[in-house]
Amino acid sequence: MAKLIVASQVVLVGIAGGLLQASVLHSPLLSGALLGAGFSLVFSLVFSKRASSAGAGLIWGLSAALLFWFLLLATSMLKLGTHDSATMLDHARGRFQQLAAYLVCMGTPVGLALGVLGGSLQDESRPRFHRSRAIVAGGLAGIASGLIFGHWMWQGGFFPLIAGLSGFHSQAMQVALQFCVAFLIGATFGLLFQRDIRGYGSCMGWGLGYTICCWFGGPLTLFPLAQRMPLNWSMDAAANLFGALVGFILYGLILGLVYATFDRAWVRLFIESDPINREPDGPGFRLFRSLEWGGLAGLAGGIVSSPFMFAAHVLTSVAGVDTHLSILTGLVVHLLVSTLIGMSYGVLFRDEASNLAMAGAWGWVFGLIWWYAGPLTLLPLILTGEIDWRVSAASALLPSLLGHLIYGACTGCLFYVFERTYTHKQMLDPRMSARELRRRRPIGTPAPALWFFAMGMGVVIPLLLA
Amino acid sequence: MAKTVQRMNRFVRRGILGALAGSAASTPLLFLTITRGAELAIVLVAGSIYSACVPPTRGAYADNIMAAASLGIPLWGITSILLLPLLSDNHMAMAAVDIQAQFAPLVGWILCGALLGAFLQSFSEVAETLYGAEAQPSSLPTTNLTRIVVLGGGFGGMKAAQCLEQELAGSVSISLVSDTNALLFTPMLAEVAGSSLEPSHISVPLRSTLRLTHFVRGRVTGVDLEKRVIVLDGAGATEPRRELPYDHVVFALGAVSNYLGLENVERMAFDFKTLLDAIRIRNHIIEMFERADRQTDPMIRRQLLTFVIAGGGFAGVELAGALNDFAHGIFPDYHNLNIEELCVTLVHSRDRILPELSETLATYALEKMKERGVVFRLGTRLVDAQPGLVTLSDGQIPAETLVWTAGTAPNPLIKTLDLATTPRGAIVVDSTLAVKNHAGAWALGDCAAVIDSETKKPCPPTAQFALREATTIARNISATLKGSHVRDFHFRSLGALCVVGHQTACAELTVPFVPGRSLRFSGLLAWLIWRGIYVAKLPGLERKIRVLIAWTLELFFPRDIIQTIDLGGKDIHPWRS
Repeated sequence: MAKLIVASQVVLVGIAGGLLQASVLHSPLLSGALLGAGFSLVFSLVFSKRASSAGAGLIWGLSAALLFWFLLLATSMLKLGTHDSATMLDHARGRFQQLAAYLVCMGTPVGLALGVLGGSLQDESRPRFHRSRAIVAGGLAGIASGLIFGHWMWQGGFFPLIAGLSGFHSQAMQVALQFCVAFLIGATFGLLFQRDIRGYGSCMGWGLGYTICCWFGGPLTLFPLAQRMPLNWSMDAAANLFGALVGFILYGLILGLVYATFDRAWVRLFIESDPINREPDGPGFRLFRSLEWGGLAGLAGGIVSSPFMFAAHVLTSVAGVDTHLSILTGLVVHLLVSTLIGMSYGVLFRDEASNLAMAGAWGWVFGLIWWYAGPLTLLPLILTGEIDWRVSAASALLPSLLGHLIYGACTGCLFYVFERTYTHKQMLDPRMSARELRRRRPIGTPAPALWFFAMGMGVVIPLLLA
Repeated sequence: MAKTVQRMNRFVRRGILGALAGSAASTPLLFLTITRGAELAIVLVAGSIYSACVPPTRGAYADNIMAAASLGIPLWGITSILLLPLLSDNHMAMAAVDIQAQFAPLVGWILCGALLGAFLQSFSEVAETLYGAEAQPSSLPTTNLTRIVVLGGGFGGMKAAQCLEQELAGSVSISLVSDTNALLFTPMLAEVAGSSLEPSHISVPLRSTLRLTHFVRGRVTGVDLEKRVIVLDGAGATEPRRELPYDHVVFALGAVSNYLGLENVERMAFDFKTLLDAIRIRNHIIEMFERADRQTDPMIRRQLLTFVIAGGGFAGVELAGALNDFAHGIFPDYHNLNIEELCVTLVHSRDRILPELSETLATYALEKMKERGVVFRLGTRLVDAQPGLVTLSDGQIPAETLVWTAGTAPNPLIKTLDLATTPRGAIVVDSTLAVKNHAGAWALGDCAAVIDSETKKPCPPTAQFALREATTIARNISATLKGSHVRDFHFRSLGALCVVGHQTACAELTVPFVPGRSLRFSGLLAWLIWRGIYVAKLPGLERKIRVLIAWTLELFFPRDIIQTIDLGGKDIHPWRS
């Protein structure tokens, strides 16, 4: 009975969302309401057990809305009755505002509603939630990330995105407002996702997904409303804000990494230091092994992805900048960088995968993260001293995106094989097997939703907007 | 049919279900791509591989739909961007324009993936309902395992257990019996006696280190070689005597001090083998200083501040250097004492100390230690010890402190066993380290008479040899159980290191691949080599960090003079009150 009540409440939220998106898109309200009702009904049937908290519900809601958009897009493409690629691409671009509407008006509120309402019905075997830890670690992470990222934001002139809304003319007030917002973003990040995050890598993934959602909700939605301007979810408006998207993504990655650092420090200092919670091993025990396995896996990933990087002309040019490197030199540099980045995978993503498919998925996310962080940001900064986050720059780097995804998948899978071979022996010791089971990410977390949302948005948006 | 499916390998079963789900899920591709057989084939293969990698979980529709939908994106890249253009046009569609042109297939692959996840989940649940759960891999047997017992928790014993874990984990039962629950890192024992390190810094708990070994804290009182049973003592009514059956036993019992029949010396002298010995020596040094500080008679003061170490090998020399530094270091805290009353004396029966090192290095060590105030009585033997007096073959030394490092003998338990032994009491083993005439018995380290299979010379009773012997024994036990070839033992020493005082050491390192050649170092460089090598060899990251911190603090702060309370057993030295 309780579940029925929750489902009906969620459907009401869905109907409200459907009406909202219909009014924004100037489509019939009835069809919008039906769309919202249908979406929320299917969502609560399929995802009720998985939306165990507000954060989990949000991620499942966003991914469901994205899948829903693909489904309707496919249906409308079929109605076109053509296989012409240019026509189909233009049609998809024309549907971009639908994507924004589904994410903002349906996916987000329906997911949050099911997570909040349905989460209270879940069993108590879920990980314990520490509110103070979420707010303190998240708020500090938000501020620290803002500090780290603030320099780039200032150089790129992105402060007016938030500070310009307030009407403050003083730079100090604008900066203060920016950091207040950063604290808020970080604290909400902690409150939403504390239960789902286990390691540094997954935290970065959640940061990536969360800030993509914030980009739709912020610059595309709230900022125009705050400036009393009409909502414009068109592809052109989104293309103009592509730089902000990349900025949000990088902020999310930094936020995730810093939050994980603070959170791990909190857990280490206040929870695991308690003798009652003592683990058989100390914290540094597997660090060197993870670096070793990650390095080897990264090297293999570099070897596997090198033909694709060669075909994409990445080996002789770096981030679109012609470095006049010979193919052999470029290959050596590529393999060296692959090894080093693979070591970072080992440290960031250990214990995230409990099977090969999960390992591959986290590897894709890792590859996507490095495409945004590497060729799109760090490499131009190192080589030319400037960042170019325009759509045209991303378009030029699209060929290397696939190479990054392949590299990430190969690295992730091979790292999993190394890790599993080691832990397989450890599992013979009952103390270690209990510890390993606690460490591993269990089935039922929103990780699959995050993979799909992050991968989908990370690949589709540059494709559509370029 | 049902039985066939039930007995089917779980990966094959999952692969078939994945292929079926893939074929059902390929519908979107039919409409959104220009249909090619290759794409459909890829869906079937991808479905099989994905299904094989993901263990089925009931009710996991949401997880599978989203996970498989995300799989669609890289599949799109591999198929539409790479493979199909390569097959048809001989080049990959790697330009941005070409990639964007494949947007419709991207949508198709994503939806195909989502359908694959949904169909796979439903097919798995139907299969489970109709044919039962998938066959699970057979777990390792827990009964009738071969029982391997290692006697002794020193370097050799612990290494043997570790190597056995690596070679045979899960297929045998490994037990280790030791009368202490920690491995003592003996090369740093003098540092504890000299108050440079804390006792816990150089001890590594055996239970935490040996994950797959059953650790038994106890004292071995007998071994029945016929019945293959180890007999352990009991400690009173609450801890009964225990028997431990075995199929293979490794004797790693080590050695004890050999007092050469000098009963008074055995009663009077401090031993220097265990952590408790080092703690007692340190406490005793401080006790002597405290007594001397309130003593008015200069003769008695001198007697209290005279420390005699018997034995000029590595243990004796390192201890003499450490005690000398410690005693000099704490002098400023004792205002009533005169530095000239302090005397650290090393007594050795031969003409030179450190016979394991070259004469040059031994002479260097001697000179350096003399410079630092150590007195040497070479070519003389210890013949007796009385309260306050140590008697040598050529004189007497009034002293309240005597430490014995002049000789060792294999564990006396070995004499009680029906094993072939040398006159010294070490177990005779063959070239593979197996005990002769006793199948399943092996021996290593100080309690065994090991002959190098290549040089035919006796192996010295040092830790580096014990570690390699342990590795060989573990491999030979594994080979015996698997019916393969056992190996002879051969090892060439890596060298020797000895600390003689503050930031001063001697080192002789063997040159690899050049027999008979070695590199010699002395002074600060050798001391740094000594510290670097031994901290690297110290088991456990935590111990390494603690030792490095202690050594760093030692650079800035004086050594501790707090007397720790000795809660050990009965006092075997009645004249020390």
